[in-house]
Amino acid sequence: MAKLQAPQVLQSQPAAPDGGWGWVVVGALFVTSALVFGIIRSMGVFFVEFVQYFGESAQAVSWITSIGLAMQQCVSPFGTALCNGYGARPVVMAGGCLSALGFILASQATCVTHLYLTLGIISGSGWALVFTPMVASVMQYFTRKRSLAMALGFTGVGLSSFAFSPLFQLLVEMYTWRGALLILGGLSLNMVACGALIRPLGTHKAVAALAPGESAWSCASLFHRAYSYLELSLLLQRPFLTYSLAITFFNCGYFVPYVHLVAHSRHEGFSQYQAAFVISATGVTDIVGRVVSGWASDLGRLRLPHMLVLWTGLLGLSLLVLPLGSLVGSYPGLLITSLAYGFCAGAMTPLVFSVVPEIVGMERMLGALGLLQMIESIGGLLGSPLSGLLKDLTGSYTASFLVAGGFLLLGTMVMTTLPHFFSCPDQRPLQRHACNYNNKQQNQQSPESGLMTNSLSEKLNHIDTIPYSQPQLDRDSLQPEPEVYMPLN
Amino acid sequence: MSKWNCFYKRIKHEKQTLNITLSMVKLLHLGWCICTPSHYKDIGDSLVEKVEILKPIDLELACTWTGNPNKLPNITGYWRKDGSEITNSRLTVQLENEQYNLKRVFRITGDTLGNYSCIFSDTDEAKIDFNKKDKPIVAYVGDSVAMACKTKLPPNTWLWYRANGTEQELINATTDPLRYKISVDGNTTKLTVMNLTAEDSGVYVCSAIYNIKASVSRVEVRVITFMEPLKPFIAIVAEVIILVLLILLYERWSSQRSSHSPTGNNIHTALTREGNNGMDENTTTRQRKI
Repeated sequence: MAKLQAPQVLQSQPAAPDGGWGWVVVGALFVTSALVFGIIRSMGVFFVEFVQYFGESAQAVSWITSIGLAMQQCVSPFGTALCNGYGARPVVMAGGCLSALGFILASQATCVTHLYLTLGIISGSGWALVFTPMVASVMQYFTRKRSLAMALGFTGVGLSSFAFSPLFQLLVEMYTWRGALLILGGLSLNMVACGALIRPLGTHKAVAALAPGESAWSCASLFHRAYSYLELSLLLQRPFLTYSLAITFFNCGYFVPYVHLVAHSRHEGFSQYQAAFVISATGVTDIVGRVVSGWASDLGRLRLPHMLVLWTGLLGLSLLVLPLGSLVGSYPGLLITSLAYGFCAGAMTPLVFSVVPEIVGMERMLGALGLLQMIESIGGLLGSPLSGLLKDLTGSYTASFLVAGGFLLLGTMVMTTLPHFFSCPDQRPLQRHACNYNNKQQNQQSPESGLMTNSLSEKLNHIDTIPYSQPQLDRDSLQPEPEVYMPLN
Repeated sequence: MSKWNCFYKRIKHEKQTLNITLSMVKLLHLGWCICTPSHYKDIGDSLVEKVEILKPIDLELACTWTGNPNKLPNITGYWRKDGSEITNSRLTVQLENEQYNLKRVFRITGDTLGNYSCIFSDTDEAKIDFNKKDKPIVAYVGDSVAMACKTKLPPNTWLWYRANGTEQELINATTDPLRYKISVDGNTTKLTVMNLTAEDSGVYVCSAIYNIKASVSRVEVRVITFMEPLKPFIAIVAEVIILVLLILLYERWSSQRSSHSPTGNNIHTALTREGNNGMDENTTTRQRKI
């Protein structure tokens, strides 16, 4: 059974090319993340216009991005489920059309509720259908250089936030916000082209053979398919739950400085230009941190979870130190701690995604990413109002920074409770090989096959996941390893 | 020959010192005199000195103001007769020796008897800010546009004008409620123009009327149709469609090209994968063929 199935199953999970067309997909991820998160970050230009045109309060208008982000995260599981069913390419193209539609409809809005519906719900769902499948596609294309590819793809966010703010300002001045939203809809349509770039690496997740006599559309099979596409079985498994809990804690603390750093700088008595410079410098170190971390993790010296723990620990520490740095009123202190924060925050971003296949295995990565986005949205929803509340209670931002740092350290500690976390700490390659080999002997698992056992598909996955083995494993077990990863086209 | 009386009265009023000096400057007619019973009547911050004049004279009135807490180097001074400003009487008064001096000669005849007052104004010229400076406000046909003016101190009234070249035409919201709406809220005012048409493009002026003078600010409104942003939008959509077609065509072409090779890729690698499980050294050479 295993032999017969092997070619078919393998066909659905071919070897990651690790180069070649993969870099084109990384470029597509770059453009996509720019168009999704870059637009979200630069919406502030529109908020001023909305407040003036509709006469609403700033808080009512800020709900637009909150709804959009919440939709992007909560609809993610459905996006990845659709990917499992129909492949990433149609889903991303549909998502691009949907988010463009949201912007185009928003340009005709006559009240703020229209904006909630169009920019928030419709565009948010479009972003959900675009972002997570795009990330998953890049991860499918790379194994050895996965973190670097992710990091390069995510630099789109940082660079676009620099470029989009003046661009949006110009568009608003020339065409007012209605025309600017229309043009943004056109720009978002480029995500369709990005989706077209994703060449399928094989058929998408093969549906388990239907039992004879069962129609394809019967309730039971639909339910079964939905269950398997959504990867709901992940919710019952400890490693995934541990990881998602850790990520949720990270999310509680991660966004706080983005929101509060400017206000904190002003609060400490620095001028508007100094505060703006701090933010820009933090943005630059964010981008640098992403690329450096991506490149460094692919060197393979440390296991990915260890690197993630390292960066989040440093991030938590830098957040704790941030209020201290400006406590004495020194601008260099604030600047240095903010730069450290920016670097660590950027460093952790590609790793958060790259670690997922290690935990759940490559086959379930898609669904896992979707579920992860949905669960981590709780952290985001919790973190920012909490920090705002702390600021109102204590009158300064010190408490919110400390709490944010505390959340990050808490998440770091939760990460260390992952199964097999303490196996194979930093060692020489040969020793690592022996250690991994022992692991394999013990329980027929490489870390890449997932930290979860007890299902038949896992045993099958074992064969699947040899191509996606960890860098260390590959280097040691398959000697002529460069040839293994030649691009297939 | 009559006796000329010169007065020098010093009146202290709180922290300000207002010296009113009456002096004879020009002697037009011999023999005229001024009887000046001095009655001081306080009206709030202003002091009234009554002068009885029996015959027409040229009278110089001089005012001196010390104790201005702001200590501006230049302030505006002007004269009023019977409460209304005398035209062309505004002068810029300089601070000399800690005081401002304003002098003017008045021809007092039977017709020009009345209450003369000198006013010193040290407030800044009231600045009006439009929300958008120097850039035209853009709006769409059929849409509405709102312009707001804000000053630091609330004026007596606000007026809106539509400027056509050099002429200004007052905008009356009551005669045209469907098109214009003016709202006033302390030191801000907002003009909303609804149901815009192309003729509504132009310069709009808001003026804040103060006691001293009116302060104006202008803004330009440009009305455009929806075709304007539609053009770049359609260009971008066309670009996206072309890109998508190119990408799909390129993929079809390259897969056709590679399908001419002897073996299908996937099956080949599947077989070699099987080999890898046993760590077969031959896999390397096999894969090189691809």
